[in-house]
Amino acid sequence: MLPKFDILTDEQIDKIHNNSLKILQEIGVEFSYDPAIEVFKKHGQRVEGHRVFLDSDFVKKMVEKAPAQFTLHARNPEHNLICGGENIIYMPGYGAPFVYDADGGKRDATMADYDNFVKLAGASKNLHMTGGTVVEPTDVEDEIRHLKMAYSHIINSDKCFMGSSSGYEHAKDCIELTAVLHGGLDVIKEKPALICLVNSVTPLKYDDRMLGGLMAYAEAGQPMVIASLVMAGSTGPATLAGAMSLQNAEVLAGITLTQCINPGTPVVYGCTSALTDMSTGSLSIGNPENALFVSASAQFARFYGVPCRGGGGLSDAKTVDAQAGYESMMTLFAASSTGVNFVMHTAGILQYYMAMSYEKFMVDDEIAGMVLRYLKGFDCDSDEKMAYEVIEKVGPGGHFLTQKHTRKNFKTEFFRPALSDRQSFDSWSKDSLDTKQRAKLKWQEVLASYTPPELDPVIKEKVEAFIEKRSKELLK
Amino acid sequence: MNPIFEEIKDAIVDGDEDLAIELAEKVVEEKIDPVQAVQLGFIKGIEEVGAAWTNGEAFLPDVMMAADAMKAGMDVLEAVLAAGEGEGTYEDKGKIVLGTVEGDIHDIGKNIVGALLTSAGFKVYDIGIDQKAEDFVAKADEVGAKIIAASSLLTTTMKSQKVLVEYLDDQNLRDTYKVIIGGGPTSKKWGEDIGADGWAETADEAVALCKQLLE
Repeated sequence: MLPKFDILTDEQIDKIHNNSLKILQEIGVEFSYDPAIEVFKKHGQRVEGHRVFLDSDFVKKMVEKAPAQFTLHARNPEHNLICGGENIIYMPGYGAPFVYDADGGKRDATMADYDNFVKLAGASKNLHMTGGTVVEPTDVEDEIRHLKMAYSHIINSDKCFMGSSSGYEHAKDCIELTAVLHGGLDVIKEKPALICLVNSVTPLKYDDRMLGGLMAYAEAGQPMVIASLVMAGSTGPATLAGAMSLQNAEVLAGITLTQCINPGTPVVYGCTSALTDMSTGSLSIGNPENALFVSASAQFARFYGVPCRGGGGLSDAKTVDAQAGYESMMTLFAASSTGVNFVMHTAGILQYYMAMSYEKFMVDDEIAGMVLRYLKGFDCDSDEKMAYEVIEKVGPGGHFLTQKHTRKNFKTEFFRPALSDRQSFDSWSKDSLDTKQRAKLKWQEVLASYTPPELDPVIKEKVEAFIEKRSKELLK
Repeated sequence: MNPIFEEIKDAIVDGDEDLAIELAEKVVEEKIDPVQAVQLGFIKGIEEVGAAWTNGEAFLPDVMMAADAMKAGMDVLEAVLAAGEGEGTYEDKGKIVLGTVEGDIHDIGKNIVGALLTSAGFKVYDIGIDQKAEDFVAKADEVGAKIIAASSLLTTTMKSQKVLVEYLDDQNLRDTYKVIIGGGPTSKKWGEDIGADGWAETADEAVALCKQLLE
């Protein structure tokens, strides 16, 4: 693995860190959820109404309790993932309510789309997890959406996945369902198997829904991403240093709460901070400033000794065009090369998280493959890799195409594109397909040939029984 | 022309809320014609900002701060305007009640819409976040608004927009108000599905929609 580079100096880290601690201690954070307020009171923090003023030393002490890395367990142990350290985990986009089709059409995402994206992630060599809320399946009732989504991940792939954090009850459902899959709540407490996303409401707030989710996961010892999305210029200051200080304060506050509830609960420092487009007020994510926030966050996560979430194939484009490609490559590359461990939104996102696109998914999958290859760097560990002997054998003026060494090594040393076209002009021009057109053919082909890994029928039955029982209760 | 009108205009263009209040207070104290102060000061200023916005020369902070300054100054003049002081009358382009629906605490998009509507000459009553259907309607009734504009950023709170339309139906008030909706996860189709009178994706489109609905 390549060494990850820092973008902030030690002095800059110090200034932002201290700015964040001052925000937490002097300005405070609003937690709307009463059980969370009780936790802070019990830990001796100053509370006024729903605003909590966090003592700097207390924050440092609590954040230290979070582990530097943890293993997330899949139903197929081959897909267990280590989150933290040098590792990087890629997964599909999260939470988009719309699907943009190749012909430029926009439509509400459905459960059928959900299953498709989970399958595409299951089939991908480059995506390590199937993610969570890969689209918002708007054709499924709110009350049971979390169950249907979890079921899709369980049945369509044997990779790790994310669960709902939408309120205490929904979170608990997903945790219990995962326990059924893995053999009990005790088992997953020992071997965490479900991770969720908890977002602050910037500036300086956490709402009931997310705090309920946070408490359920913390109680069950399941990991969570604690993330903040500062829209610099609207929900946060227009300066990068100010916005970063704000984000950092919010994430530290969330991590502190998790460690108060259950010390040692695995958490991931999450960053999705980006810009406000000052002409429309929209979020804008496909930009160098977003890449800087993410890289700085990776460095802060190392500073605090926890894994980092950030980045992805992020774009503001509305279709799979050059903008979609260059923005996504920049944001995924920056995240990956500066040490982010957990990359939600790696594949599929268009228009600042608003939409998923099948074609974009395939383009991002290709980008992910390229970046993963880049991260592997040079292998200088053996004489074989140094290739002196074969250079000697061929000598001046020869070629390497017919050497055993070449035949043996090119497959592992070279990234093999699945989507990019490297043909001559004449070969290409027979069909003249552009990237979007090739991506469309590709995802259709992948879906048609994908067979989901089998799930033990006994467990499947238990999983389905749990979902049926809860659905009945929730739809009552 | 009284030089204070030009000063008011500049205060609006600069988005200087404190100065706008100070000048409005001076208008009241020195019994300067308040209608002229509105037309030659406040409205001139906001029109200038609105034009700069349309040309792409002004950005959100410019427009939103101008709208805030305008609202603050106009609030000071409200009593004297209501008392009918000054030559002629001042008419806004229409009254709009604006808020974020129940269960949702996001307000930035709503605030942007409010500012652009204000800069386009509408009188906006922003009732804030997490507002029940009855709160929207009560305010609309109180101020005589023609349009109710409801924002939602979450897929889980969009249904509150539907509740608002249903509430109007139940109260036999559906024809009294135009209901428009917006927010990240909403769509034209969602607007049609719930029977809203309009949907806008952006703040600029919301302004165009209100103009069209009040024609």
